[in-house]
Amino acid sequence: MLPVIHFLNILLPILYLGTFSVYFYDFMKGEKKFINVKRLFIFITLLIHFFYLLIRTFEFEHPPITNVFEIFTVLAFSITFSYFLLELITDIRGTGPFIIIISFVFQLISSMFIVDQFEVKEVLKNNLLGVHVINALLGYSGFTISAVYGFLYLTLYKDLKDNRFGLIFNRLPNLEVLEKLSFYSAVLGFILLTIAIIIGVIWLPQAFPEFSFIDPKLIGTALVWLLYGIGIFTKIFSKWRGKKLVLLSITGFVIAIFSTILTNFLSRSFHSFY
Amino acid sequence: MQLLAVSINHKTASVQLREALHLSDDEVRKIIKKAKDNFLKEGLLLSTCNRTEIYGIPVNPQITHQQLQKFISENKNSTATSPENFQTFISRDSIKHLFSVTSGINSMLIGDNQIFKQVKNAFAIAEEMQFAGYLMRRVFDSAIRVGKRAISETTISEGAVTVSYASVQLIEKIFSNLSKKSALIIGTGETGEIAAKHLRDRGIGRLALTNRTFEKAEKLAADLKTAVFPFDTFKDHLHKFDIIISATSAEGMIITKGDVEAAMKKRSFASMVLMDIAVPRDIDPATKKIDYVFYHDIDSLNIIVEQNVTKRKKEIPKVEKIIEEELDSFFEWYNSLQSAPTIKSLRDHFDEIRAEEVEKNINKFSSKDREKLEIVTKRIINKILHHPTIELRKINESGTGAEEAATKIGIIKSLFGIDNSEHEEEKK
Repeated sequence: MLPVIHFLNILLPILYLGTFSVYFYDFMKGEKKFINVKRLFIFITLLIHFFYLLIRTFEFEHPPITNVFEIFTVLAFSITFSYFLLELITDIRGTGPFIIIISFVFQLISSMFIVDQFEVKEVLKNNLLGVHVINALLGYSGFTISAVYGFLYLTLYKDLKDNRFGLIFNRLPNLEVLEKLSFYSAVLGFILLTIAIIIGVIWLPQAFPEFSFIDPKLIGTALVWLLYGIGIFTKIFSKWRGKKLVLLSITGFVIAIFSTILTNFLSRSFHSFY
Repeated sequence: MQLLAVSINHKTASVQLREALHLSDDEVRKIIKKAKDNFLKEGLLLSTCNRTEIYGIPVNPQITHQQLQKFISENKNSTATSPENFQTFISRDSIKHLFSVTSGINSMLIGDNQIFKQVKNAFAIAEEMQFAGYLMRRVFDSAIRVGKRAISETTISEGAVTVSYASVQLIEKIFSNLSKKSALIIGTGETGEIAAKHLRDRGIGRLALTNRTFEKAEKLAADLKTAVFPFDTFKDHLHKFDIIISATSAEGMIITKGDVEAAMKKRSFASMVLMDIAVPRDIDPATKKIDYVFYHDIDSLNIIVEQNVTKRKKEIPKVEKIIEEELDSFFEWYNSLQSAPTIKSLRDHFDEIRAEEVEKNINKFSSKDREKLEIVTKRIINKILHHPTIELRKINESGTGAEEAATKIGIIKSLFGIDNSEHEEEKK
């Protein structure tokens, strides 16, 4: 099984790059004949990636969530999978390359540094940890997609204000749709992260004797959660819309990324596993 | 094939001349009747604001393009025309021209799909007036196929190529659902009217009009079933609208930055689109600096129009390829309308039926009668087919016009459900 895992580990970034290239080419050319090719590429990539995650889980006897590079490959999968569902549901196709490129980057980093980890701490094999991490990852996928749509909203907004009618104008959906996609992705991400936090708060103190509420990762996550919470609250109950809201979403995403980097690579805590 | 076509269009004649020769549907019906009595056995008469053209198979080979040109010129107002005002086509070129027209690549606005509807309407009138014979019906079917393929297989009709439609395209890049939006049209001249109609056609939720001459706005409002505001108070209502299109002939600015700022505050900075399609401009361009205000004037709309025209032009070779494919397919069918293969198909068809029935009933006959059964049934078939076979051979021998021969053969094929090409494909 190991040679297959190693082969797929090399193949996956190539597949993501291929899928990104097809989506990007279609974005540039906008030809009808690419619609099915795009879907085929993304579907095959997801299928192979799912198979990779599955055999990794069986071979190493733990889900691939025990270190940051395992998490990156799950994140690459969940971002593309969420986008694929979104494309199928909404039939909005011009935004694919901007999301798939993120999955490609995550997968590339993962493929470069991931190791065959047979031995993991007993606590990392716990099912509750699995639910906690999966929810957190899906939540962050939602935030990533929200930030991408937010970024696209700002770009189209600026192009419309400046009378620029290029590819962005021609290929992207309209401003209202981009704003909605950004908002709903953020809401979904917020709900999933909330579940992850609740599980974490209940289970982590029992699982880790050195648990601390002033852990950098906990503070970073709380900050991200709070920021998205404020954004969603102001959208629903106040009059915040458009630029302000998407800027908040992008800020939340940037904080989430920095928080992950800081807590995983620079500071050591009970929450760092690698 | 002696299919003649004569066209007067935007490439050959001035707008005044085209207007003078433009025919209403009733006038088309009257002229078709005259054409049938004097010149054409079957055909098509198409008249739009940019073209009037007649296609048809002449009643005799002596009929010329010049006679058809004269017929068109004299039928309405005895309009003075010269030969340079006409394009003339014959045979394959006639059909090719019709296909080009139907696909929109011959239109003034390249890819205009309005022409497709107009051609279909002309086909319907030809059918109604029994001006569409066996051949022309096949031409119509092929032309419609060309039009549909051009729309579905290329982007020849995509993107706005008029300023008023470009403004709607731009609005749709900001708002997702026009049925939930409201629009105010300032100025009900031709441009304002077209913009109002475009918005109504795209399902705008609420539409209102205002004009310096109130009666004019009221008249259009009645036609479009919309609200109307007096011109001197419309600014009090600006905040109620998501889209404001201004197309007046006023000399100065009628909406200032201050007006828009006040309106935006009242609507809590919900997005507002300002389309200034007037020359000189009606709305202060400084309004574009206000957050969530999307201000566009005629220049920015023209950028969109030019981009789309360029894109459509790039699609022309693809449409021409479709036209060539359909032309080949049409002439493949047309060439199959020859008497020898038809006689063979007809005889094969009858013999297949005969053999099938004999086989089904063969057990009801004694072995010595079976041979007689074969002979008798073959004789019956031969007698039935004797006259049609002679008639089909005569078509070739008598030098009957190719169109008439094709028509007769076509009718026989249609009656008995035989088709040489299908037959051959089945055999393959």
